[in-house]
Amino acid sequence: MSGRRPVVYSDTTAPLRERTREALADDALAANLRAAGASWGAARTRISAENPFAEMRARAREIRRGDIGDLPELLARLEERVTAAGGVVTRAADADAACRYITDLAAARGATLVAKSKSMATEEIKLNEAIEESGLRVVETDLGEWILQLAGQHPSHIVAPAVHLNKEQVRQVLMAESGWELPTDREALVAHARTRLREVFASADIGISGVNFGVAETGTICVVENEGNARLVTALPRIHVAVMGMERVVRDWDEAAHILQILPMAAIGDDAAGYVNLITGPRAPGEADGPEELHLVILDGGRSALLGTDLEEALDCIRCGACLYSCPMWRSVGGQAYGSPYSGPIGSVLTPLLEGMEGERSSELPFMSSLCGSCHDACPVGIPLHDLLVRVRARVTTTAHRRDRARFRLWSRAWSNPAAYRLSVAMARIGLRLAGRRGWARRLPGPGAEWTSQRDLPTRWPPTPPR
Amino acid sequence: MAPDTAALSEGLLAALARRRATGAVVDAAGAAAAAAARAAEWGVERALLADDPVLGDLGVGGRLAGDGCEVLVWPDGRGRGWRELLGLEGPELTMGVTVPRLGVAERGTLVLETGPGHGRSIDVVSMYHLAVLPASRLRATLAEALVETYARDGRAPSAVSLVSAPSRTSDIEKISTLGAHGAKGLHVLVVEDR
Ligand code: SF4
Repeated sequence: MSGRRPVVYSDTTAPLRERTREALADDALAANLRAAGASWGAARTRISAENPFAEMRARAREIRRGDIGDLPELLARLEERVTAAGGVVTRAADADAACRYITDLAAARGATLVAKSKSMATEEIKLNEAIEESGLRVVETDLGEWILQLAGQHPSHIVAPAVHLNKEQVRQVLMAESGWELPTDREALVAHARTRLREVFASADIGISGVNFGVAETGTICVVENEGNARLVTALPRIHVAVMGMERVVRDWDEAAHILQILPMAAIGDDAAGYVNLITGPRAPGEADGPEELHLVILDGGRSALLGTDLEEALDCIRCGACLYSCPMWRSVGGQAYGSPYSGPIGSVLTPLLEGMEGERSSELPFMSSLCGSCHDACPVGIPLHDLLVRVRARVTTTAHRRDRARFRLWSRAWSNPAAYRLSVAMARIGLRLAGRRGWARRLPGPGAEWTSQRDLPTRWPPTPPR
Repeated sequence: MAPDTAALSEGLLAALARRRATGAVVDAAGAAAAAAARAAEWGVERALLADDPVLGDLGVGGRLAGDGCEVLVWPDGRGRGWRELLGLEGPELTMGVTVPRLGVAERGTLVLETGPGHGRSIDVVSMYHLAVLPASRLRATLAEALVETYARDGRAPSAVSLVSAPSRTSDIEKISTLGAHGAKGLHVLVVEDR
């Protein structure tokens, strides 16, 4: 597809290795991530003790597998019912098409101010940039997203976007925005943001939200949140535009009820989200609030290519963010280092799939995992993320990987010949003895250098205990 | 109150309490007084009421007005404009009064259905949210409540809001703070049927 906007951020030009090294050296970041991971872990343990999580997860997996199996049919039904309820549905093949639809609509209606609630799909298509380029003002209203927008940063977590910042960092950002001196307590900072963003709700022409899922049975859009900003975004402005990934559909209300219950358990360690907004069409006759127009943009963006492949299960994802918190890699470097709106295990799977295998990030992210499988355990819909990571790795090819492959081919050819095998082992033994001291090689030349840059290699077997 | 209804309302209030909402079971005769007491505790200067016969029957609006609270009723109240309803102009300590269509005992959720008399924004534009729920509207599970809400013939309601907590955010250091955008306090009065 030509002209497709890359999924990755243009501003993360440093290579992954450098970004992770930088993140690892950041003590404040490490402390913030540690606190976030611990608080999620504690809440999650508590909620799993009170609820039959394993059974709920099995049912959730069954639901999502079934929905993705019937995706074309469910999407058609959703589209038909949303239209019947008075909404306008558009299918966007890629990010450009989705952005263009929205900016054209804004221009046609003479809009000047757009209020947004949290949406990963709009991060993916870089909608804010497109809106700003078209000369409009767009304001994120989820507190975490707003802080990041002001700070010129991107979300580091699907559910808790500003989790990498601490209170003082947040305070500095908010003071820079308003020019007011702000107190240091959390309540005051939240109250300040509330007032500032109410100005936006009062005058926005268009509200843009994401979609957690659409219910095909009735053509209803579900937007899950805790702050109340998504309700304001979808209730006050004249026009509501909802952007959803094409995989986010469930069949009926029975399924919807189940997903609505397991999602907050996995996402925030609570057994219910504070608010769930269920929207079926624009405002009905006689109603005094709600949008006059409802537009639903259904984004493909590389998703349909996964249907029927051995990577299809990536579409089951309900974007709860649990695999991020559970991941030892994410907890060490945070989401920013990934350089993609989707970080953590699911991000390492999705980014190459949605963006294409070619880019630097796509070819490296799938390798940023120890394949420990904690992500699979955490996932409320039971996606075998570690298997998917291995499959995506197998698809990625770069020059470095081609070189590795050639080397391994040579090796395997040599070792399938008994004489050559014996010779190579004898030479390696002598080489190691020469390179090592007291049974350990600390720095090897040539192809061994990479290995010994991180760890020592025993030169005798069994190894002598390190001193 | 029938024993199963009592168990359901107990379940609802206990689950909501875990998310820092409050509530009580009251009889019809005491509902208006309980609403007024809550408004006084919050220091509410203006109330925005859903136009619902339940509130009229219980005398909630009259009682609040009698206590000196300004009372607006939807949809007329909408005439004030968003700046005022959002608290940017006029009193900041406001209260939205809703009548949920259903209440869910398991996990504690209110099902608010929008309509001409019941704006979808009443609870979130206000600083506080008082929900008045007739006990007969309690259901055991969310699935049951959603299937019932959407199973009727004809058009589905244009908006249904599930409310299970006061407005909260954990965006600063993952510590939950109330009053992010919606109501800072949520109080539920479960009213025993006459
Ligand atoms: S892959 Fe699973 S755990 Fe990760 S965000 Fe998606 S649903 Fe949540």
